[in-house]
Amino acid sequence: MGEKKRISGCVAVANAVKLADVDVICSYPIRPYTGIMSELARMVADGELDAEFIHGEGEHGQLSVVYGASAAGARAFTGSSGVGVTYAMEVYSPISGERFPLQMAIADRTLDPPGDFGSEHTDALCCRDQGWLQGWASTPQEALDMTLMWYRIGEDPRVLLPQYACQDGYFVSHILGEVDIPAAAQVKEFLPPYKNHHTLDTRKPQIIGAQIEPVMGPPLQYQRYNAVEGSRKVIAEVHEEFAKIFGRKYAPFVEEYMTEDADVAIFMQGGHAETAKIVARRLRNLGEKVGVVRLRTFRPFPTQEVREALSKFKAVGVVDNSANFGISGGAGVLLTEARTALYNLGDKVKTLGFVAGLGGEMITHEEFYRMFNKLKEVAKTGKVDKESFWLPFEL
Amino acid sequence: MNVEKLFEEPGLKQITVWARGVLENKEARDVVVALTEAAAKEGKYVQAWENYVDLPDRIYVPVRAYGKIGEQPLESKYVYENEVPDIVALTEETLVKGNPILQGVKPGSVLVVNTKRSPQEIAKFIKDFGNLQTLVTIDASGLGSAVITLSGAEGATDASGIGGGMSAPLAAAIVKATNIVSFENLLSIVKNKEAAEFGFERAQVVDVKTLQIAG
Repeated sequence: MGEKKRISGCVAVANAVKLADVDVICSYPIRPYTGIMSELARMVADGELDAEFIHGEGEHGQLSVVYGASAAGARAFTGSSGVGVTYAMEVYSPISGERFPLQMAIADRTLDPPGDFGSEHTDALCCRDQGWLQGWASTPQEALDMTLMWYRIGEDPRVLLPQYACQDGYFVSHILGEVDIPAAAQVKEFLPPYKNHHTLDTRKPQIIGAQIEPVMGPPLQYQRYNAVEGSRKVIAEVHEEFAKIFGRKYAPFVEEYMTEDADVAIFMQGGHAETAKIVARRLRNLGEKVGVVRLRTFRPFPTQEVREALSKFKAVGVVDNSANFGISGGAGVLLTEARTALYNLGDKVKTLGFVAGLGGEMITHEEFYRMFNKLKEVAKTGKVDKESFWLPFEL
Repeated sequence: MNVEKLFEEPGLKQITVWARGVLENKEARDVVVALTEAAAKEGKYVQAWENYVDLPDRIYVPVRAYGKIGEQPLESKYVYENEVPDIVALTEETLVKGNPILQGVKPGSVLVVNTKRSPQEIAKFIKDFGNLQTLVTIDASGLGSAVITLSGAEGATDASGIGGGMSAPLAAAIVKATNIVSFENLLSIVKNKEAAEFGFERAQVVDVKTLQIAG
């Protein structure tokens, strides 16, 4: 039997890593993900978890250590936040290119300047096209569950890709929430041991990351592309199996909330979607037809699922919690991805971009209320005078 | 429509504890964790967290820990700070000056101060009582010292236990003045049970109106 505890997103992830029985952990401190590593260090010191705990000399070193560990056949775990995530940028593509399914937890933090440690998805979104799987949890419970599911998906022989398990810094990583910590036996049933099919072994020498000729590049990239595309099927399967074993059912790609008969909806990812849901519920009590669609898996981007979910509405507000200066549409990555998914539907669904919660500010109930009002106005008139808004300055 | 009214959460209680960074932030956290864990035993919906931007790794800077206790599922989970506290506590008496400790307090609210001084003496340092109804003093430091540890910082589990230091008598004084949880349930959570019992017994609870008249 599992147990219920009130713990933070950081502790939830540490518990998942322990349950996944990882072999190698590499840490380097930076708020807000640090709590994961201090918890894991305690678990190793107290004998609760038998793993190599290595302190890296920086984030680039961290990722290099788990890269090697995974190559040697270990289930490996690392993590970071903010500029730590970007400092390790060089190592991400080699890891996915060599198809090592290690996991990195990211508790989001703004990029400098200045040294603000508030949450913003900008850090993790910088790495979105590195061939890693990527998704956002919105509660400590989901952070725990996502950690387990990503390992299982990434290590599937049909996938073999590394994973970013992301959560909003502070909001999810630090605020305690009720979490059902599953029993070790259940996790064992769900997550078989990691088998690396080309383990580094001195008796069978091999080269990893060798220099190649340009002609050898396209097939390698195409293989990685197919691995990412092929992971969609596995993601759906694993979510189903997770629900069978643990009793918690998540939509693998997009979670819909009060969307049936809704005229307008907010589309977003991460913890602030929980606030958006509360606002939608209160507005429903007043008879307004509003809903929320929360993206759970960002890479691979679920184009088909997003298209199906959003095509029902007259107007959709895409909330971006990232700073993307000069981007098409004037808001963020999520708006451009959502619009691309909707493109072939023509002008049927009006889309607005809302940049909110930057610097780690919360997105307030009132802000979501204003977004819904703006969407209702667009749905009614069918006219878009301004397509993106930076909150709180422009709305 | 009144937007504020739309998002009201009737019956929600907010607890804010002010402390001094590094030396006391565990005590502040322990007060809110002890109270919310006790409330959870009573079937309430709870949340405890620390103010993320208060830089708790700077020695002696004012830092805050928060608790929320509700009869209904909490609907303001990701609101950064307690904007309208029902209960304010200070782990250290000098925090009473120069910090907006009573900002936004609800009518009927309670202030609890860890101090050797009497409520009358502490009241002299408060310029504006606002909606404050009750002032409580307790010499919590005389009953337990601050537990100084990094365990439990940054959202990690506190392996040193809850309420081993002066947070226990401070939480007990809060319970005496507010009945926010039953004292028995608080006792079942805190490690320093004896100090909690003394804290409950010795806390001086005074109506602010009587202090203002005394001038």
